[in-house]
Amino acid sequence: METVPAQADLYQCPVVESRTVGAYHLIAFVAGEIAAVARPGQFVMIRQSGPALDPLLPRPMGIHAVEADLVKVLVEPVGKGTVVLTDARVGDRYSVLGPLGNGFDLSGEGTAVIVGGGVGMAPLALLAGTLAGRGRDVRCQLGFKTRVQAVAAELFRDVDVDICTEDGTMGRKAMVSELLVECLTDLGPAAAEAELFVCGPGAMMRAAVETAREYGADAQVSVAAHMACGVGACQGCVVRAGGEYRCACNQGPVFRAGELEWR
Amino acid sequence: MAVNMESSLGPLRLRHPVINASGTFDVLAADRVLAADLFTDFPFAAYVPKTVTLKPREGNPPHRLYETAAGLLNSIGLANKGIEAFIADDLPRLGRLPVPLIASIAAEETNGYGRCAGLLDGRDEVAALELNISCPNVELDGKALGCDPFLTASATAQARAATGKFLIVKLTPNVTDILVLARAAVEAGADCLSVINTVHGMALDPWTLRPALGHVTGGLSGPAIKPVALRAVYLISRELDVPVIGMGGVTSANDVLEFLAAGATAVAVGTACFRDPLLAVSLVQELEHQMELRDIATPGELVGRAH
Ligand SMILES: Cc1cc2nc3c(=O)[nH]c(=O)nc-3n(C[C@H](O)[C@H](O)[C@H](O)COP(=O)(O)OP(=O)(O)OC[C@H]3O[C@@H](n4cnc5c(N)ncnc54)[C@H](O)[C@@H]3O)c2cc1C
Ligand SMILES: Cc1cc2nc3c(=O)[nH]c(=O)nc-3n(C[C@H](O)[C@H](O)[C@H](O)COP(=O)(O)O)c2cc1C
Ligand code: FES
Repeated sequence: METVPAQADLYQCPVVESRTVGAYHLIAFVAGEIAAVARPGQFVMIRQSGPALDPLLPRPMGIHAVEADLVKVLVEPVGKGTVVLTDARVGDRYSVLGPLGNGFDLSGEGTAVIVGGGVGMAPLALLAGTLAGRGRDVRCQLGFKTRVQAVAAELFRDVDVDICTEDGTMGRKAMVSELLVECLTDLGPAAAEAELFVCGPGAMMRAAVETAREYGADAQVSVAAHMACGVGACQGCVVRAGGEYRCACNQGPVFRAGELEWR
Repeated sequence: MAVNMESSLGPLRLRHPVINASGTFDVLAADRVLAADLFTDFPFAAYVPKTVTLKPREGNPPHRLYETAAGLLNSIGLANKGIEAFIADDLPRLGRLPVPLIASIAAEETNGYGRCAGLLDGRDEVAALELNISCPNVELDGKALGCDPFLTASATAQARAATGKFLIVKLTPNVTDILVLARAAVEAGADCLSVINTVHGMALDPWTLRPALGHVTGGLSGPAIKPVALRAVYLISRELDVPVIGMGGVTSANDVLEFLAAGATAVAVGTACFRDPLLAVSLVQELEHQMELRDIATPGELVGRAH
């Protein structure tokens, strides 16, 4: 794992951009040390700086984009920790610890089939851009509940994306697993060489992994877990993988589909 | 006025009175992730690793964490690799830390405390032992033996018989009268008490209205429990003649001053390490500054001032 800046005042990062993107919120920080070494699929632990004791702990956010010395995250407000993050204003300072976690394994060569559900698309944007930049064949499918979330797909800049919504208000009216079946069918025999990169709600990831298996394709999955430390200290963020509990923060968040046990 | 931050805890010489709480700071994991060189510049005055048990424990099913109002509920379930792996893999590396090492041990059966203490007694890396008596106990149907004064005394006595090292017993607040447990531990040979472990609690997921933790109930920590901890430290240190390590909700230098004044000789930081893994660095600086402002020459001078 790469090292990160660790002096307390070094990761007090100023916010330079904070705006709503449909149902989500995009925040950009100046965090040069993190930007310099971040890899797709890694995450940061972020919290507004200052003495406020509620929310108490930072929240894990996938690294959505890296531009020069900027790190961007895309936040879906679902509870107190994430709602507070959407209040970020330009000039605010945030404590940003990272980059953390293993990130996706980019060493494969087959077609990269990227499958995202909801805000799970956030870390996949950095992945898609990186893979496309390396000349790898990339196919992207993103599924959302409805239009107000799906508009965030505009944040995928370097690659074409197929979009679907459950209610048909943007893109196809379908579940993302249906798009995935079409994509793998379309690849023909190359599907068995393809590799899926999946991030989204549990049920969606499970369906995608099942489909990949039917086509003989490998899959890497980025899981979500409740975290406290983000660095492997608390043993709180475990998922069941390879017959044991593994910490999503330092043994993940990316796992091979084959080793994950779904609950 | 010059401030001398040095403190002593029994035979342990501490650079300052702030140490970490077991299970909340993993120096081996943090050293891999943080750029700071923790083995030269360790922010705490002593290091307490996560509790290890006689046999490895897998821990509880997820979710193991849930944040509540200014607090954190956890049900880690003492997941650890067991004392033998700890001795073989971790101890040699932890021995290189520039501060005293306080090993935290637990067992599912009372006599396991004696065996764990015996396994560590001959190890020079270990300066002191802390008995975590909040481990689920087989003799008590999975309840913590720290809830029962007789089992607490028995576990303490067995550890005492197995080691000459400085012996700390860490009390659980989940009892009717914590003083009864404190006395039981001291009479059975404890040299020092750690006060407090987490407070029983539970949370429901606001959407599903089902228990938020996989284990249903868990232990509450963080600022939400500070008043509970302060009271326990105050009552115990006023009554008993052993040093107390105070902990529960410490996030600032002022909190440290309060715990010292309530009667703690040293103060541990737990959950706040998750807000910022290097919090101790700024906290200790601020503590020194606050002592200077308030004309307090040594931490010892403050201990018990609120009594
Ligand atoms: C590695 C990683 C990367 C992540 N990346 C992003 C990202 O890029 N954008 C984003 O918006 N979110 C991301 N998340 C999820 C985000 O961290 C959680 O939504 C957040 O911690 C919830 O905090 P809260 O205080 O708002 O919610 P809480 O009040 O704690 O909970 C509200 C609801 O959300 C659920 N919840 C809490 N934590 C999580 C979690 N970690 N995953 C799923 N559900 C949770 C709770 O069970 C509850 O139902 C990521 C999580 C991980 C582990
Ligand atoms: C995630 C987590 C894990 C913990 N693990 C242990 C442990 O292994 N052994 C132990 O004695 N106490 C453990 N504790 C309790 C703390 O050491 C401390 O007593 C308690 O959290 C109160 O302090 P705090 O409010 O500063 O966290 C744990 C606490 C948390 C939050
Ligand atoms: S969040 Fe603490 S171990 Fe993963």
